[in-house]
Amino acid sequence: MAAVNGTSAADANSQIHKKPRLYADPSPPLFTPSDILYEFSHHDPTVARINNGSFGSCPSSVISAQNELQIQWLRQPDDFYFNQLQPKILQSRTIIKDLINADHVDEVSIVDNATTAAAIVLQQIAWGFAEGKFNHGDAAVMLHYAYGAVKKSVEAYVTRAGGYVIEVPLPFPVNSVDEIVHEFRQALQRGKQNGRRVRLAVIDHVTSMPTVVIPVKELVAICREEGVDQVFVDAAHGIGCVDIDMKQIGADFYTSNLHKWYFCPPSVAFLYCKRSINNSDLHHPVVSHEYGNGLAIESGWIGTRDYSAQLVVPKVLEFINRFEGGINGIKKRNHECVVEMGQMLVEAWGTHLGCPPEMCSSMVMVGLPACLGISSDHDALNLRTCLREKFGVEVPIYYRSPKDGEDGGVTGYARISYHVYNKVDDYYKFRDAINQLVHNAVTCASLPIS
Amino acid sequence: MQHEDPRNGESVHRGSKKSKLSSKFITESDIRDEFSHHHPSVARINNGSFGSCPGSVLTAQRHLQMQFLRQPDAFYFNTLRDGITASRKIIKDLINADHVDEVSLVDNATTAAAIVLQRIGRSFAEGKFQKNDTVLMLHCAFQAVKKSIQAYVTRAGGSVIEVRLPFPVNSEEEIISEFKKSIEEGKSNGRKIRLAIIDHITSMPSVVIPVKELVRICREEGIEQVFVDAAHAIGSVKVDVKEVGADFYVSNLHKWFFCPPSVAFLYCKKSASSSDLHHPVVSHEYGNGLPIESAWIGTRDYSSQLVVPAVLEFVNRFEGGIDGIMKRNHDEVVKMGKMLAESWGTNLGSPPEMSPAMIMVGLPSRMCLNSEEDAVTLRSHLRDHYDVEVPIFHQVSKDGEEGVRDKDGFITGYVRISHQVYNTLEDYEKLRDAINQLVEDGKTCKMLYKE
Repeated sequence: MAAVNGTSAADANSQIHKKPRLYADPSPPLFTPSDILYEFSHHDPTVARINNGSFGSCPSSVISAQNELQIQWLRQPDDFYFNQLQPKILQSRTIIKDLINADHVDEVSIVDNATTAAAIVLQQIAWGFAEGKFNHGDAAVMLHYAYGAVKKSVEAYVTRAGGYVIEVPLPFPVNSVDEIVHEFRQALQRGKQNGRRVRLAVIDHVTSMPTVVIPVKELVAICREEGVDQVFVDAAHGIGCVDIDMKQIGADFYTSNLHKWYFCPPSVAFLYCKRSINNSDLHHPVVSHEYGNGLAIESGWIGTRDYSAQLVVPKVLEFINRFEGGINGIKKRNHECVVEMGQMLVEAWGTHLGCPPEMCSSMVMVGLPACLGISSDHDALNLRTCLREKFGVEVPIYYRSPKDGEDGGVTGYARISYHVYNKVDDYYKFRDAINQLVHNAVTCASLPIS
Repeated sequence: MQHEDPRNGESVHRGSKKSKLSSKFITESDIRDEFSHHHPSVARINNGSFGSCPGSVLTAQRHLQMQFLRQPDAFYFNTLRDGITASRKIIKDLINADHVDEVSLVDNATTAAAIVLQRIGRSFAEGKFQKNDTVLMLHCAFQAVKKSIQAYVTRAGGSVIEVRLPFPVNSEEEIISEFKKSIEEGKSNGRKIRLAIIDHITSMPSVVIPVKELVRICREEGIEQVFVDAAHAIGSVKVDVKEVGADFYVSNLHKWFFCPPSVAFLYCKKSASSSDLHHPVVSHEYGNGLPIESAWIGTRDYSSQLVVPAVLEFVNRFEGGIDGIMKRNHDEVVKMGKMLAESWGTNLGSPPEMSPAMIMVGLPSRMCLNSEEDAVTLRSHLRDHYDVEVPIFHQVSKDGEEGVRDKDGFITGYVRISHQVYNTLEDYEKLRDAINQLVEDGKTCKMLYKE
């Protein structure tokens, strides 16, 4: 098994035998496996938690830091509002700016989640139509596998406002980056038909279901070539999961959740908005007295609420730097382990992965045995519930409808994740659960409806 | 029957084992316990801005947060939606709404305003409203609401009428009369008023508005829809949405109803167009009705929306429940207001019956509070040097109008004091003495800038 959790056995032993470090040692000690166990001891110990992608995870030390901030607010909220809140938000934004290689902290706004970021970007598209900047029928392009909330947001803000929406079909299982690039180019051509302008392209960095890493840098470049007005990268799974560099990727907007793979509590995300575009037209939809002061400032106050999740970023950085290699070390190990676990499972079940290893991040789609008879989204949900309730395994299931001519093949995939708290036993538990269902000739048709 | 939630049960037993046996109601020392997380040396008389939350409710909230973190998928699928529905049902009963479908939970009144106004914006964009159709609001509407009108109405081509209400105010009739006048003026050049936004309790300066009467006038005058911004209402005045009769009514539960930050309800009277209200943060629930849309706007901490049952338990430990709390808060804040006005030789901004749990008290004219900056400076000074937290209002004198005077000059500044269950006499004496000290030392607001 590849070295997990930042320390090999050798490292762990040397940690135990070192003398206790002095207080204010500039480089705090690396986490031992038992440190990590403690940091995630609030996770349900009976659950094989292999769905970090949906709701993320947060270590105890960060939760404690968050509680401290919540208590400070409750203790004297006026003082916190006038003296602490904005400087602390700015501090978080500054850290993020450096992490993502943005030019200026003004480009970094903090919002609740990628869903909120999408609403912000799409709302300005709606205004474009309403105010006659765009023509009725101008297009927005998005991936067929775009997140459900984003698709609905496109419906609410683009279709409703008179825009024409084009979905890029992507093959799945996917075999190479070229397949994706090809489909994307074709979709842009369709977008430009009949003299239409493509006003916005929404591109996932890591799709949700099914999960695949998209070659965003290349797709953004194609968008520029083809005269797409604006490019919005939805990287809900980005930070802490794949490498992100705003200047390299070159998008106009880029959003990522920090509570998924970056150890923040629910919930906090950043929305990067390149300075060169007309940012004065970007607004948080919940309007406060800060309206007109720039998106970052508007987002820093949207009425009384608990902003503590946005303020713990410094603490999270401290946490991450106690892993060997910091966030890069974590990403690398997560990726290697999830591929290893994915391959273990497909071998055990006689199925296949949904994409080649280089196109997955810290999540991978693993084919489920065809005999389970997954034949609809409902089946997928029922199977997921069964795994949770009967086997103590938490993993999202994806139904892939068979293409014409396909028969008796794999129609269901599990999206497994690997994060610092996972153990090989989590995946054995899953392997054995599926094996047992197969052994007992259970099909989705016979499962209780959740 | 409400499902007995062990989380809430624990909150009742914590710290009050003895008092449960010996006294039916919460005791003074229980209350001190419940608010022991408040800064002990601060005279906290600004409950209006950010509200307050007792320890037992915070504990219930913490349990919910840990439950989510422990197994978020199970929480999402099995607990969250039902928990929000349970909170909505309690609120529906509290506010006398007809149907739980009329009750949505959102973060705060600011969010509710965006929801209502965003629809107005769409109506302009889609040609349902004509350019210069109008929205009416109070001049002293909350700043966020004013900006929301700018963002969604003015930007979309609508125009705005501001109703100037008198302050200090002496009777409801003054407000009603001003309101009628403004509507007349507004309609005078044939403009159609699409929406009226009326505060139930204004923020600064704080006064209870006779909303039922004003809503009735709006209907008489053919104003299409009425939105009551009652950010301060629930837990400080009686809320009966059918009686008020507005199309939309929002109130924050974290101000006067003991919820943690933050949660508000938005009531939307069932109508032909209620299906066209949307939460601006669009999730997969888009199109399933505002309450369902609002119950899932992406991954976040929804725990403050789930503790309403625990809050009800807390409130019912007080004699008379929330009604008893409201009455005592009102009686006390009026008493304290009068005490301060008498000590300073000043006035109250409104009569007792128009001041629920907050009241405006004139500051001595010798303080020379002549600008918004002066107000902010004085407030900071009181916080930093006297441990008193109280918001200050600068009263702009209208041209040609005689202001209220004390023995030294015109009264141009007011404090907005509040009373909530955790307050004690000492809090107000602290404020009284601080102001008296400043006056005695001959300090004007300008002199405080340097300190």
